Amino acid sequence: MTRRQRRFLYHMTLLWVLVLGVTVAAAETLYVQGRSAVLRDGKTSLDPVVTRLQHGQDLTLLKKEGDWLEVRTEGGKTGWIYRTKVTSTKPEGGGNSLLEAMGKSLREGEASAVTASAGARGLDKTSEAYADRVGITQQHRDEVDRMTGYQIPDQEIEQFLREGRLGEYAQ
Amino acid sequence: MLNKVVHSVCRLMVLLAVLTVWNGCARLQQAAETVARSTGNEQVAHMIQGGGTLMRGLLPIGYEEEQSIGAAISLQVVARYGGVIEAPALTRYVNLVGGSVALTCDRPEIPYYFAVLNHDSINAFAAPAGYVFVTKGLLAHIQNEAELAAVLGHEIAHVTQKHILEVIQRNKALSGVAQAGLAYADQDPAAFQGVIDGAVKKLLDEGLDRDKETEADILGTVFARRVGYDPTAYLGLLQRLRTLKGDDQAFFKTHPNFSDRIDALQREGQEREWKTTGVVVQDRFDTYRRGL
Repeated sequence: MTRRQRRFLYHMTLLWVLVLGVTVAAAETLYVQGRSAVLRDGKTSLDPVVTRLQHGQDLTLLKKEGDWLEVRTEGGKTGWIYRTKVTSTKPEGGGNSLLEAMGKSLREGEASAVTASAGARGLDKTSEAYADRVGITQQHRDEVDRMTGYQIPDQEIEQFLREGRLGEYAQ
Repeated sequence: MLNKVVHSVCRLMVLLAVLTVWNGCARLQQAAETVARSTGNEQVAHMIQGGGTLMRGLLPIGYEEEQSIGAAISLQVVARYGGVIEAPALTRYVNLVGGSVALTCDRPEIPYYFAVLNHDSINAFAAPAGYVFVTKGLLAHIQNEAELAAVLGHEIAHVTQKHILEVIQRNKALSGVAQAGLAYADQDPAAFQGVIDGAVKKLLDEGLDRDKETEADILGTVFARRVGYDPTAYLGLLQRLRTLKGDDQAFFKTHPNFSDRIDALQREGQEREWKTTGVVVQDRFDTYRRGL
């Protein structure tokens, strides 16, 4: 390899590194907001789902076209997502997660009455005891109990959005 | 990119270090308590235990605890507002609209529950852990699905922002309830009742602080807009209620007056460039509201 060729190769490598660096720096990171967001194969709600996304998941923006964004997941999958399903700021929980983690760790020994009822339908031991103390009627207890038992699956909510032509189903 | 990775690793290391130290302190406290007890210093052991309990009491309320608190407050809401109406189609509709908004909210990982209260007053409430109530009286003044979505979004925002839990933390401190978790509910039911009754009084009689209501108005609209509803619909509802009730807080005492809320929402809308889209889903709303 001549000196001239070596110099050319050196400059090309330098340019490539520079271009790659600028590309990486310019790549915009988006985050999934809400639950049940999906990545689609095309820019309509009728296009097949590539993958389901988690709340807060990182996505790299590739392209914007109207209300749809082409993105890439950290796992390398690319597809289209409706613009209201993502945000440019990382979603956070409603509280201080560090302090909550500490609280949970320290409370483990005292919360047997609570953990037994966690995720279970209806009133737990503590709220029942409160109801007894303040004289809440059985009818009102049953109403709160029924309320917590009433959960509509996400698929039915998606169907409801489709019927109302809302969000990504508007087109 | 590299900075971000380094930053994330640093944050993780700090978190692990703090957790390790904290847990270490807890073990140290337990060990000191055991030694004090075994050497016959019951009073010293009690003081050490009390110090640890006080520290734990200052930590935020966890979700399991929030569920019990939310259920207890909801019992009072239902009891004081005429119970829950029995109208299966309408209940399902309110749950579908509310569920749609909850899917897009900033705390989508917990379940949300929606019910219509059999009361003619114009009001809506939220209790911790996702309990959302709207009165029959308010539903009668709502004119389309976009307005309903924003009203439910407002209540969901109180849950996502843990507004009532903040009140409870304050009440716990004021009532001298230092125990963490729900230990105090079993050991001292009167103290638990005091904390819940204080929260119910704030929620149903006094109302939350003005800045919390303004935040809920804005976030409720943000959440409903994410679903696809017209972001200006909620302003229409507030303006109609102002015309109907005026700014007299006696009529709507648990919220700030309508003019302040409308001004705050309009300012936010200008900043966020909210435009009228006309997506209010009128026909479906009219069909379901006949169930009232």
